[in-house]
Amino acid sequence: MSDMTTADVTHQLAPSEPRRMLRRFLRQRNAVAGGIIVAVVITMALLAPWITPHPIAQTDLLNSWGPPTADNWLGADKLGRDILSRLIAGARTSLFVAGAVLAITLAVGILIGMIAGFNGGRVDAVLMRIVDATLAFPEVVIAILVAAVLGPGLGTVIVSLALVWWPGIARLTRSLVLVLREELFIDAAIVAGTPTWAILWRHLLPNIVAPILVRASVGVGFIIMAEATLSFLGLGIQEPAASWGGMIRDGLPVLRSDPSLALFGSLALGTTIIGFNLLGDGLRDILDPRLHGR
Amino acid sequence: MLRFILRRILAMLPVLAIVLVVTFLATRALPGDPVLVMLSDHSSDAALAARLRADYGLDQPLWRQFLTYVLGALQGNFGLSFKYVRVPVVDVLKDGLAISPLLATAALALALPLGTLAGVIAAVKRNTSADTAIILVLVAGLSIPNFAIATFLVYLFSIKLALLPVAGWGRLDQAVLPIIILAIPSAAYIARLARTFMLEVLQQDYIRTARAKGLKDTLVIGRHALRNIMIPLLTSAGIIFGGLLSNTFVIETIFNIPGLGRIAIDSIFARDYPVAMAIVVLFTLFFIIINLAVDVAYALIDPRLRARMLAA
Repeated sequence: MSDMTTADVTHQLAPSEPRRMLRRFLRQRNAVAGGIIVAVVITMALLAPWITPHPIAQTDLLNSWGPPTADNWLGADKLGRDILSRLIAGARTSLFVAGAVLAITLAVGILIGMIAGFNGGRVDAVLMRIVDATLAFPEVVIAILVAAVLGPGLGTVIVSLALVWWPGIARLTRSLVLVLREELFIDAAIVAGTPTWAILWRHLLPNIVAPILVRASVGVGFIIMAEATLSFLGLGIQEPAASWGGMIRDGLPVLRSDPSLALFGSLALGTTIIGFNLLGDGLRDILDPRLHGR
Repeated sequence: MLRFILRRILAMLPVLAIVLVVTFLATRALPGDPVLVMLSDHSSDAALAARLRADYGLDQPLWRQFLTYVLGALQGNFGLSFKYVRVPVVDVLKDGLAISPLLATAALALALPLGTLAGVIAAVKRNTSADTAIILVLVAGLSIPNFAIATFLVYLFSIKLALLPVAGWGRLDQAVLPIIILAIPSAAYIARLARTFMLEVLQQDYIRTARAKGLKDTLVIGRHALRNIMIPLLTSAGIIFGGLLSNTFVIETIFNIPGLGRIAIDSIFARDYPVAMAIVVLFTLFFIIINLAVDVAYALIDPRLRARMLAA
């Protein structure tokens, strides 16, 4: 039975397909620009512990709000910490949160969506009710609730964003599974006595993963924005760790005398989000079959 | 019509019920004894502790506390604040209550015409440089977080040009920047929707008919097309207003405005759970009311829907 699935998958990804997709991707200038920004940010985040010019928590009170110098390219913050180093470390925080939230929401959302879509009936009804109920709560409300219970910190950010994002993934997965469930190879697997988990894992998952990943890539920009917002409000990662949102919050009150912290923080954050959005839109365009031929 | 509204209200009750249960459980399940925190230096004063416990109803069995909480909340009474000992939560919230909805409404009043205009222009001038420019601004408005945009605008208008105050609340000029910044993402969102809807409407037969009759472009767009994009725009009004309300948290923090958002953040840091939970309930209520209003307005505007509703 698994031969049929493999055939199905290989049919979708015929040998020339990846190259065609790459060509289609490279034709979209916006997506390429987004891809370059994302690549730079990811490299920065991965290498952060080795490439920051100064340790991010190294304070130098004599250099409080120090101007840009050969040693501190972008100047120093209130405690005399190097702004450039903290910007680089901030990229790591943003991407770590985005990665954690994606991992959780994808695992939970795909599992729940597959179970609901595959089983149908009462299981589906109950699970979708839970999804609807979660969606009924505005993000802010969820964030305050979680922040009040867990206290400010990285955990609060990840949990509240995961709570906000999983229902969307669950819903998308369910709708994809509902369509696939009617396919002959699934019936064949059921008839052959394949256990349900194996059908979900080996037959359904490979066929739904691409559209879900596209949805996830579009979501990364929003997750980074939400993380920065919570950090800005002081509910995110705590000092001395660095986050762009926190840097902007610290920089705003001194915008008049020392604007570099808030301005560079905003610049890094805005550029990164735009990069992810451009890349996500580009990926969606090349992978969404409805848009082909345009 | 009344039956329709009643049905919508009934459908929203479960959400309110869930939020009441969750907020109650959250305040009770949290670690730490609030009375001990309130006592601080007087922790050995057993009589005072007992009185505080009685004042806060913490000496009652859990089910009775829950009943008191729900019945109180339904009447707009959220008990007493932990931080301001013996002060009712309502008094803590009173001054901020109107600010967040007011900011959101003002921003919507600004974003709606602006966004619609930008979207319509982009659609009518499709694939020209005007369209591209508008789309670029939209992408930026939607991608860059509010507070990052605020950083640039405050730097420009309040510091470099010294036109507007940096922060504060109470005077009209202090409200200008907060409202503009609050309106930007919504205006961008509305413009994107308006552009999409407009492109669709412009391909309809009745637009071709209107053009064939020899009507001027402004009349075709302004009268025939614009009306037909208002309905789909209105369906998104709930999302838009919800987003605005959420963003008031950030705006109030940036500009030091004493609204519900600021109070909520302060209460989280002060571990003043009753206040934080009351705000959770209030915000949920705001969202419910918005969605209800949108549903009703939608039914009022679209005759097809009205007919279907009356038939049901």
